[in-house]
Amino acid sequence: MSVNPDHREASIAYDFDPVLEGRDVSVHYGGVKAVEGMTFGLRPGLISGILGPNGSGKTTLLGGLTRMVNLTRGSIFFDGSEYTSVPPREVIRIGIGRTYQTVRLLPDRTVRENIILATDEVLRKDRDRAHAQVERAIELTDTSSVEVFRPGELSYGVQRRVEIARALASDPKLLILDEPTAGMNKSERASVSALLSDLRSEGLTQLLVEHDVQMMVETCDYLYAMNFGSLIAEGTPESVVRDPGVQEAYLGKEGRHDA
Amino acid sequence: MISQWFSMNSVLIDQTLTVFLLALSIQIPLRLGVISFAGIGYYAIGGYGTGILVLQHGWNNVTAIIVSTLIAAVVATLLGFVIAHLNGLYLGMATVSFSLLFSAIAINGGSITGGAVGLYGLIGPIETWHVALVVVVIVALIALSERGGLSRRIDAAKEDSQLAGALGINVIRMRRLSFPISGALGGLAGAFAISLKSTIHPESINFSLVILALTIIIIGGQASWVGALFGSLFFVWLPETLEFVGDWEAIVYGIVVVLAAVYLPGGVVVVYKDWRHRQRVKKYLAKADAAPPPRGETSEMVGAKGEGS
Amino acid sequence: MEVMSNVLNIATLASIYLLFALGMSIVWGTMAILNFAHGSIFMFAAFVGYLVVKQVALPLVAVVVIAMAAGALLSVLMQVAAFEPIMKKAKNAHAAELQLVIGGIGLSALPIFVAQRATLSNPFGYLKSTFQTEYYDIGGLSISNLEIIILVVGWGLGIATAIFLKRSRQGLALRSLGVDPEVSSLMGVDRTRMALSGMAFAGALAGLAGALTTFYLTSITPESGNYILLKAFAAIILGGVGSVVGLMIGVTVLAGAETLVIVFSDGGWVNAVAFGILFIILVIRPQGVLGKKEVRRT
Repeated sequence: MSVNPDHREASIAYDFDPVLEGRDVSVHYGGVKAVEGMTFGLRPGLISGILGPNGSGKTTLLGGLTRMVNLTRGSIFFDGSEYTSVPPREVIRIGIGRTYQTVRLLPDRTVRENIILATDEVLRKDRDRAHAQVERAIELTDTSSVEVFRPGELSYGVQRRVEIARALASDPKLLILDEPTAGMNKSERASVSALLSDLRSEGLTQLLVEHDVQMMVETCDYLYAMNFGSLIAEGTPESVVRDPGVQEAYLGKEGRHDA
Repeated sequence: MISQWFSMNSVLIDQTLTVFLLALSIQIPLRLGVISFAGIGYYAIGGYGTGILVLQHGWNNVTAIIVSTLIAAVVATLLGFVIAHLNGLYLGMATVSFSLLFSAIAINGGSITGGAVGLYGLIGPIETWHVALVVVVIVALIALSERGGLSRRIDAAKEDSQLAGALGINVIRMRRLSFPISGALGGLAGAFAISLKSTIHPESINFSLVILALTIIIIGGQASWVGALFGSLFFVWLPETLEFVGDWEAIVYGIVVVLAAVYLPGGVVVVYKDWRHRQRVKKYLAKADAAPPPRGETSEMVGAKGEGS
Repeated sequence: MEVMSNVLNIATLASIYLLFALGMSIVWGTMAILNFAHGSIFMFAAFVGYLVVKQVALPLVAVVVIAMAAGALLSVLMQVAAFEPIMKKAKNAHAAELQLVIGGIGLSALPIFVAQRATLSNPFGYLKSTFQTEYYDIGGLSISNLEIIILVVGWGLGIATAIFLKRSRQGLALRSLGVDPEVSSLMGVDRTRMALSGMAFAGALAGLAGALTTFYLTSITPESGNYILLKAFAAIILGGVGSVVGLMIGVTVLAGAETLVIVFSDGGWVNAVAFGILFIILVIRPQGVLGKKEVRRT
């Protein structure tokens, strides 16, 4: 339903096996082309970042990649298998975990319960494995000291960490993070950056969406730059940042407020 | 002595049991975020169904109870499909109108439903302790759903259904399943009610029953069978204890409900759960000798259900 | 002639429903407050009129004004005492919805209780008022002065409100509240003040409806409010929440269906008409005839 039957595109050859691949990914809402013609392949084991000013379509793209919105055109592949039309609840089983722009934790449950939740459905029958994954997630994110607290009793920075732990508890092959450091101060930002590096050394592939250029350049191994829904540059952080198109996109975008 | 108290208060005990079942039939969907008052309609099906089958077709009381409860469950399942596209208040209103239609059918049903007088004279073998036994079994099953993974999944489905889906939970299926369960509980409540009381009439299934169910959920809370039981006890036994208050019962009722709605949106069970949580946190802090974690230092507001633009 | 007489009955009944539901629909559509106690405001305002008329023989206009004042006051009281605190404390719109309904139902019990005590649950009316029903013959159709008043007031207010909401600045402000409370507060629309005025307006209309209904039916009971509440729902949903024109269509359909049921059957199913309409509309087309397609989904 979401793939244009007339869609034809030569398969882009990558010299690696992309963990996640998007071909001509497009999401249109009633006349607005939020995402248009994005084609890319995520490199395994690296932290890839999507850079772009507010309103460039980054979060909509994430919505498309996690099946929260349907693609108007194009297709998406995970580990080589197409998943363009699967129901949203299959995404976690495919191996994708994500965090959200605003923290979404159950307020009346403890941190630990919130993390375990990620395993309650997908590992219903294998609670031993669930327990192991939860413990590992807590260890990786260093959240064992706040296990008994409820989200509302913790600082925003800690809550974000808990959300990352929850995403890790399902043992994903790809971790998508949607503006994980929004609203954080410098030291919190640095500690998230360090966490993502640790996760990378564990072999996890990550896709990071942020709009803080500095953080992206320091943390990511590969960058995609978006503007007005399309890919305008990609490559190493240094090369992307120096790209004239990217610089122009950023210079003109100060003061625009958008979700 | 105890048996004396039981026989003196048997009517109230019967009422508590059937009202409790009715409250559960509304609470189960509510735990998934489904505001449904269809339980009153299921109660009508169970009650009038049992009455008609026994009094007009000579059926055995127990068989009639089982069949009318099953019918209620089937009707509930169909209702679930028909109103699946509705949410929140609209769903609530659809279910209220669904239930009240039954009271109109009951009044205008002529000789089949006994019209305004209703059905009477159902003498059967069902006794209070039979009903109590069934209720205990049901409570045991429900209690299981309030522990562990299932309870977390239910909470997630209610709090943030999109997130729940992203965690693999099939929210739609859970909601669909809640309908026949609710139907069976409501139907059973009505079936037991007529079997114990021997009568049923249109006033038993009109808007005041909706109010009753609502009150129980308000007082007891939306989350647990314990709350539903507490609410049922409160509502059935309050007039007794407030006898000295007499005519002022309605005002007390009105004030209590308004206060509960404003200050205690989770009902009494939430008060208890919050207290338990605070105890655990205190214990943890004392034991680990840890400093409490940093609280919200950043200006960003928390708790808004980010829809992930 | 019987047809004309039925049409008159339908138009008059619809006008009463319109007056009652108008305030409720606007408050609901713009402020997202569904006032379940609106029915008891309707009844209690009329009741206050009864109390005054028992002492002093007053003309219709005076009784109506008293009822309107009582309705507005009661409505504002409820807003301040319950609805506003609930909305402030609620975690999100979804939770607030249910709590408001619950609070409204609780609140509704209080005026009913007071009226029941005072009247011992008997019907009450304005027999002592100086108002006399007079009948006129217009082209063979017998119409009373009361019916004329009801028709003019109800339909007149309905049309005036529809125009007001579409054209005036306050109307726009009200409508913007309904669309996005945050945005409108950023634009300088004072939410609390608008809420109070909205509730006062709705309460006054309920009082107006209550007084006129009591004159029309010669008496009402303390329980009358609950029934008309449910019927108002049916009419509002049928027409589409927040649409005044839709409401006018809704009350007409409802009044028409009820009258037909009375005329062609023994009338026992009258109340069921509202339930049936409500259920069917919600199943087939929840946004109603003229409502916005985007029915609030939680």
